[in-house]
Amino acid sequence: MSSLEIRGVQKTWQAPGGLQVEAIREVSLSVSSGEFVAILGPSGCGKSTLLELCAGLEPVSGGAILIDGEKVAGPNPKAVMVFQEHALFPWLNVESNVVFGLKMKGESHNERWRRGREVLERVKLVKFAKHYPHQLSGGMKQRVAIARALVGSPEFILMDEPFAALDFQTRVLMQQFLLEVWSGFKSTILFVTHQIDEAVLLADRVVVMSAAPGRVLEEIAIDLPRPRRMTDPAFNDYRVRLTSHMEREVMRAAEVQ
Amino acid sequence: MLRAATAALLPWLAVVALWELAAARGWMTTTLFPPPSSFIQFAIESDFRVGFGKEGMTIPVAILASAFRVVAGLFLGFIAAVATGILVSMSRVASAAVLPIVRGLAPIAPIAWIPIGIIVFGIGNPTAVFVVFTGVYFLLTLSTVAAVQSVDPRLVKTARTFGASRSQVWVWVIFPAVLPQVFTMLRINFFAAWMAVLAAEMVGLKNGVGMIVILGREMFNPNLIMLGICIIGVTGYAVDALLLFVQRKILWWRPAE
Repeated sequence: MSSLEIRGVQKTWQAPGGLQVEAIREVSLSVSSGEFVAILGPSGCGKSTLLELCAGLEPVSGGAILIDGEKVAGPNPKAVMVFQEHALFPWLNVESNVVFGLKMKGESHNERWRRGREVLERVKLVKFAKHYPHQLSGGMKQRVAIARALVGSPEFILMDEPFAALDFQTRVLMQQFLLEVWSGFKSTILFVTHQIDEAVLLADRVVVMSAAPGRVLEEIAIDLPRPRRMTDPAFNDYRVRLTSHMEREVMRAAEVQ
Repeated sequence: MLRAATAALLPWLAVVALWELAAARGWMTTTLFPPPSSFIQFAIESDFRVGFGKEGMTIPVAILASAFRVVAGLFLGFIAAVATGILVSMSRVASAAVLPIVRGLAPIAPIAWIPIGIIVFGIGNPTAVFVVFTGVYFLLTLSTVAAVQSVDPRLVKTARTFGASRSQVWVWVIFPAVLPQVFTMLRINFFAAWMAVLAAEMVGLKNGVGMIVILGREMFNPNLIMLGICIIGVTGYAVDALLLFVQRKILWWRPAE
């Protein structure tokens, strides 16, 4: 059983000129094994920062993040991050991108090849193993990025608006794809988005964050069987509830500016 | 490839045709500006040899000598500049100590290094290579530092999240990411380097295509002068095509698409 505990985390950036910018104020959240949690909030609410703190890419300014009871003190193979498009290495082909982490860990060439193939088969990209990122569509690039996250069998996949740059059609397909992958690999997913529909469609639980500095406003469990349909009246109830929250926060964010 | 070569050749055929026509009709003095038919015939009649005794050389050897000098200088300058630029970028103290000096040396034209080269290395290949090297090294070091600063931070974060150590990030992410940009600068500065090699050959180095032009002047032989000028153009074009090939086929990726 794996667990992720975010305990009273704060993050303050040191802006140039000695200015202090408070990105996150007191966020607490606990995520249990196999769960799909969406973090929803207006732009600039510190939700991406929260993911980077969980991934160990940035140190917390206060509080602590624990993975399996251990404090996160740096990048951690148990929790890997998936960014928006363009985070593939353009000079590596699909296969080399996917096994990048294994190479860094010093896995043998044969082992890398075997595990790379295995994951590429599961995400149906074997045919494109030798292609370079610029030869792929946006959706395929994100499938590669997800395959790259899966290859090391992490306990947590931290996704930072991974589908935000995709067109509507591709995004719908990718959401389906992610759900299939998730049910197959049993990783726990922390998914940052600013799209309400996406959060309700995918997550077991939606965490609503406030405008900057980010705090947790509300946690809503999405009690709908999968596959979910956006046209379902119950789906709409969640949408309405979350929309009112988001509207208020967006207005508040505008006032602060 | 063949079509591109034909397309590049056609305008030149037109120029040559016009030139021959002007010479045949007596529109210009052929004794000063002999047409290609004249100086190519001259080259064939003299068995592709120019000069006498100690100053004698064959034309193919002259071309190879000049091309070798410029390619060797560019190659060494590129490697050294990428290494310096990356090493300097790794430490703030090193940047503060080294960059002002590099910034002062970068604007010095390659040609200005010729006297220093001759004093230090004497007359010979090392001087020519030194002139090209110095002509590109400082500039490319600055351009490497700039390229390091413009590496997409998402690529670095991605590498870190997949377990790359700080030194692995430099080797596997920053190094490949900066290569295309620095190489583009190399190509832009090739012409200055090529001119410097020719100038060095004209003021003292034995052999090389620059020497052909000077021999022509010393012997009052316009055929030799025009032949040398044309060889300089064709050889420079060929080396530039080689650099373009490297850029398109080997270092093709761009930092952002």
